[in-house]
Amino acid sequence: MKELTLRISRFDPKKDTAPHFENYTVNVHDGARVLHALHAVHDDCDPTLTYRYCCGTGQCGSCAVRVNGQPVLACMEEALEGITVEPLEIPVIKDLAVDLLPYINELPIICPVSTEAATMPAKDIVETMKPLRSCIGCMACVSVCPALSVSDFKGPTSMRQEMRLSLDPRDKKDRTAEAVNGGLFRCTSCQACWKVCPKEIQIPGKAIEKLREVAHFKGHTLPRHAEVAALIRETGRSVTWTEPSLLELTAEVMEPYGPVKKTVGFFVGCMYNLRLPKTALDAVEVLRRNGFRVVIPRDQICCGSPLIRTGQTEYVDTLKARNIAAFTALGIDTVVTMCAGCGSTLKHDYETPFKVIDFSELLAETGFGSPAHLGLNVTYHDPCHLARGQGVTEQPRTILRSLADITEMPSICCGSGGGVRSGFPDEAAALGQRRGDEIKKTGAEMVVTCCPFCEFHIAGHTDKPVRHLATLLLKGYREQEKSGT
Amino acid sequence: MRSDELVDCHVLVIGSGGAGVRAAIEADQYGDTVLVSKTIVGKGGCTPMAEGGYNAVLKELDSCEGHYEDTLRGGAYLNDPGLVRVLVDESPERMADLIRWGAVFDVDDLACVAQRPFGGQRFPRTCYAGDRTGHEMMTTLTERMADTGVETYQEVSIVSLLQHEGRASGAMGLDRDGEVILFRSDSTVIATGGGTRVYDISTNSSSGTGDGYALGYRAGAEVIDMEQIQFHPTGAVYPYDARGRLVTEAVRGEGGLLKNKLGERFMTCYDPERMELSTRDVVSRSIATEILEGRGTEHGGVYLDVTHLPASQVESRLPVMLEQFLKFGVDIRTEPMEVAPTAHHIMGGLRIRPDGSTTMKGLFACGEVSGGVHGANRLGGNALAETQVFGKRAGEAAGKAAVHSRDHDPAQVEAERKHLDEYFTGTSEPAGVWNKLKLSMWEGAGIFRTLPALEQTRSVILHLQSLQLRAVTAENLVECCTVRNMLTTASLIVESALLRPESRGAHVRKDISQAWTPETSPFGHTYLSTSCRGIEKVSR
Ligand SMILES: Cc1cc2nc3c(=O)[nH]c(=O)nc-3n(C[C@H](O)[C@H](O)[C@H](O)COP(=O)(O)OP(=O)(O)OC[C@H]3O[C@@H](n4cnc5c(N)ncnc54)[C@H](O)[C@@H]3O)c2cc1C
Ligand code: SF4
Ligand code: SF4
Ligand code: FES
Repeated sequence: MKELTLRISRFDPKKDTAPHFENYTVNVHDGARVLHALHAVHDDCDPTLTYRYCCGTGQCGSCAVRVNGQPVLACMEEALEGITVEPLEIPVIKDLAVDLLPYINELPIICPVSTEAATMPAKDIVETMKPLRSCIGCMACVSVCPALSVSDFKGPTSMRQEMRLSLDPRDKKDRTAEAVNGGLFRCTSCQACWKVCPKEIQIPGKAIEKLREVAHFKGHTLPRHAEVAALIRETGRSVTWTEPSLLELTAEVMEPYGPVKKTVGFFVGCMYNLRLPKTALDAVEVLRRNGFRVVIPRDQICCGSPLIRTGQTEYVDTLKARNIAAFTALGIDTVVTMCAGCGSTLKHDYETPFKVIDFSELLAETGFGSPAHLGLNVTYHDPCHLARGQGVTEQPRTILRSLADITEMPSICCGSGGGVRSGFPDEAAALGQRRGDEIKKTGAEMVVTCCPFCEFHIAGHTDKPVRHLATLLLKGYREQEKSGT
Repeated sequence: MRSDELVDCHVLVIGSGGAGVRAAIEADQYGDTVLVSKTIVGKGGCTPMAEGGYNAVLKELDSCEGHYEDTLRGGAYLNDPGLVRVLVDESPERMADLIRWGAVFDVDDLACVAQRPFGGQRFPRTCYAGDRTGHEMMTTLTERMADTGVETYQEVSIVSLLQHEGRASGAMGLDRDGEVILFRSDSTVIATGGGTRVYDISTNSSSGTGDGYALGYRAGAEVIDMEQIQFHPTGAVYPYDARGRLVTEAVRGEGGLLKNKLGERFMTCYDPERMELSTRDVVSRSIATEILEGRGTEHGGVYLDVTHLPASQVESRLPVMLEQFLKFGVDIRTEPMEVAPTAHHIMGGLRIRPDGSTTMKGLFACGEVSGGVHGANRLGGNALAETQVFGKRAGEAAGKAAVHSRDHDPAQVEAERKHLDEYFTGTSEPAGVWNKLKLSMWEGAGIFRTLPALEQTRSVILHLQSLQLRAVTAENLVECCTVRNMLTTASLIVESALLRPESRGAHVRKDISQAWTPETSPFGHTYLSTSCRGIEKVSR
C-alpha cells in the first residue's frame, strides 16, 4: 500500500454556487488508477463524493475526468501523488459526474432498419468502419472541442458517427447533407479531439476531412473556400500578392555567416511568402546565423493544406508532386517549415523523400547560438498544427526561455484554422476573443507563436503585439551584438 | 405519506444490457414500454465489456445439433434442455437482427461473418467484432432502441419489485438524488445481469451486484442452480486494485499458450486433448492448482503468452487487450501476461420457461439474471447469444401479456419506504460490509469448496445481514440497497452450494467423492424461493 494525496473538485449545484477543491489523503496499492483513488476517497474519507464508473477497464466511457487539466479515463490513468481531479468541461451534475446524455442522445443513428436479408458490407468497408466504431462515448472530445463551444456544431463524435454511417451500405440517409447541417465546416481542425480520445479515433483526418471531401464533390463547398481553391489553381498560392514576396526578396541559396554546418531546404508557405515575408526573412536570417545554408527553391508552391482541410482534394496531388520535385531537384534531404500548418501537412499528408522539420525543432535539435535575454514577459500560443499536429511544444519554449520569461496560458485553438476564419468569421472571432481574454489574464507584454494564421488572427483580438518566435530570436541576437559580448 | 413520482406503462424492463435493451425493443411493438437502468444505456452492465464473441451456427458444416451437444456437455448436463434448444436454434436469427440493425462484425473475404474457435466447442462458431464484441452489440442495440418509442429512465436503480393481487405489478426505483419513483406495469422484465462482484476477484462491471436475483427472490420468484459460479481462468493479477479484469478467452482462441513459472505448458497434465481450449471450469481449476502448488508467477498467476503470434494478429484481433496491458506497462506482443482465475458469471438464476416467464405471475427474466441455459458451466460466447435470444422472447411474451389495472399496494410502498428511512440511522458503512463479504465468499464459496468453509461463509453472511447499513445522505441509499442485494445473492449462492452434495461443473466439493459422471448424476437443479428449497432428483 502507498499513501497518496489528491485534490478533487467538489460541486453540488443544490448547495454550492461554484465548485471548490478539497484535498484527500488515501491508501492505495501500487499501480492504482485514478478510479481506485476515488473509490478510496469515497469509502474511507467522504461517502458523498459523486463520480461515475461502470466497467473499470476502459470499455464503457463512463469515467472520463480531467487529471491535471487533461481529459483521461479515470479507470486507466495511473493515480500519481498530488494530482488534481476535475470534471470534464461540460455541464456538471455533481462533483465529477457530468451530463453525458444530451450528447449521447444527439448521435445520429442508422436508418431505415432493413427488413431485407441480413448481409454484412464487404471486408474493406468493415475494416474502414471499425476504427470509427470503437467510440465509447466518453465525451472527452466534446469537452475540448472549440467549435462546439461557440457554435451549434454537433461535435467531433457526432461527425465520427456520420462518417461511419456514410460508409455503410445498409444506411440509406444522405449523411453528407446531415453533416453539413450539423456544422461540418465549423471544425477548426485543431486536433484537440483525437488527442484526448482514449481510443485515439482520428476524427479530424478520418472523419471530418473525409466527409468534407464528399461534401465538396456533392456541391456543399462554402463559396469562400471555393474562391481559395480557384486562386490556388490559378496562381499556385492561397493568398494574393500585395507586396514583394519572400521568394522575390531572397536568392535561391542563402549562405550562412561562417562555415556551413548543414544545408537545409526552406518551405516558406503562402502566408509567409506573401503576407508576412519580413517574418520569413527573420527566420532565414536566424538559420544563417546558426550555420545553415538555406536553399529556397523557386518552384515551391502552396502545400495544399487549405484544400485538404476543406475537402477540395482534386488538385492536391499536383501540388504535392510539384513541391516534392522542387526540393528533390536541388538534392535537399531536410526541409524546414516555419508555418505550423504547412509543417503538419508535409509531415502527414505527404510522403516525402526528405525529412521535414519545424524551425524550432531544428534549432532545439542542433543547438542554437545564445541570444540576449530581452527582459520581456511573454506568453506562448501553441499553434494547433504544431502542438497537436506535430507534437512540438517543448522546443519553442526552450528557445523562448532563453529570450524572455513565459507566463503560460491554456493550450487551445485561436479559431483561425480549418477554413473557419474565412467560412465562419463569427465563430473565428468568438474563439479569437477567448484567446484575447486568456492573453489578458497572463499579463504578458507580448504573444509569441509559430504560425502565420494564429499570428494574424490573434493580432485582431489582443492589444499586445504578436510575433513569430524567429522574429524574437533575431531580436535577441541583435541585442546580443549591440551589447558587444 | 410523501407523494412519489408515478410512471405507468404496459411493459417495464429493468436493466439496459444486451438482454434488457433487446427485450425493450421487442416489447415496444405491443405497448408502452419503459426501460429503467441503474447506469447510462449502453455503458452499464457486462454486455459492453464482453470481448470474445457470440455463438451462432452459420455455416453448412456446423449444425445446431452440434451447438446443442457442446452446450450440454460444457454445462455438465445440468442445463434445461428445452432452453438450450431454443438458444441454439434462434441464435443465428438474432445475429441476423443485429446485422440488419447495423452491427459491424468482423467478416471474411466473402463478407460472411467471421468465426473463431472458443473453448469446449467442436466448430469455430464464435462471431466477433475484434475483442469488443459486446460493445459493438450494445452500440447497435442502443441505436436501434433510440429509433423506437421506448422511454428510458437512466441512472435510476430499482430497489424492490411491486406486487398487486398476487402478481408482479412494477417496481420501485431511486433516482440519483435518492428520490422514489414508482413504475407500474402490466408485465415486468428483469434483465439486471449477473452478480460476481460478491467475490473479491471479479470481472464484472459496477452493476454486477446481483440485484435481480435478490429482487426476484424477495418478491417470491424461484431461483435455480445459484451455486454454479463460473470462474474465468484468465483474469489479470496486476495492478492489484484492478485485479480480476478479464483477459478474454479470445487470447487462447487466437493461439495463446498457458505456462507456469517453469515455462511448462501445464495443460498437458490436465486436458492433453483440448489443452488451452478446454472448458473454463477445467482450465480455472488447472491454473488454481498450479498456483496452489507453488508454480505460480511473481504476482500470483500463471503466464498467458501470445509472443509467438505475429504482432499484426495481436494488433488486429486483440486491440483492447493490447491497449489495456500497454497502459499497465506490459507489451503483450513481446512479454507474456500474468493471469489467474476470476469470478465471472453466474450460471444459475431466476427459473424461466422458454418464453422468459418466471415462477411469479407477471414477472419475466432474461440474460444473466435467469438460470438454466448454461447448466453448470457456460461456454464462452453463449451468454451474448442468450441475451438476444431470450431478450427477444421475454420482451415479446411480456408485450403480449394482458393489460391489468395498473395499481400498487400503498402498504407495500410504505413498508419499503420505512426500510429506506432506517438506513439514515444505520451504523455500518456499506463499503466495509461489502469488503468483508467478498473476502469471505472468495474464501468459502470459491473454486474449491468444502462443507466447513461454506458454513463459515454462511455465518459471516448472517452476521453481516444483522448489521444496520448506513446512508449518510439520500444519494447513498442506493449503495445500502445494493449491498443488501449482494448479501442476499451471496446467501443464495452459499445455500445452493450446501444443497448440492456433489461436484458438478463449476461447483467443486473437495470433501465429497462420488461414483457418477455428470451424465449419470442423480441430481438436477437446486432451487430456492422464500417458500421452498431443495435439489431435484433425476431418475436415469
Ligand atoms: C468482462 C466480461 C467479458 C465477457 N465476455 C463475453 C463473451 O465474449 N461472450 C459471451 O457470450 N459472454 C461474455 N460475457 C458474459 C456476458 O457479457 C454477460 O453474461 C451478458 O452480457 C449479460 O447481459 P445482461 O443483459 O443479462 O446483463 P448486463 O449486460 O450485465 O446488464 C445489466 C443491466 O442491468 C442494470 N441493473 C442492474 N441492477 C439494476 C437495478 N437494481 N436497477 C436498475 N438497473 C439495474 C445495469 O445497470 C445494466 O444496465 C462477459 C462478461 C464479462 C464481465
Ligand atoms: S479538430 Fe478541433 S474543432 Fe474539429 S472537431 Fe476536433 S476538437 Fe472540434
Ligand atoms: S470519439 Fe473518443 S473521445 Fe470522443 S466520445 Fe468517442 S471515445 Fe470518447
Ligand atoms: S469505467 Fe468504463 S471506461 Fe472507465
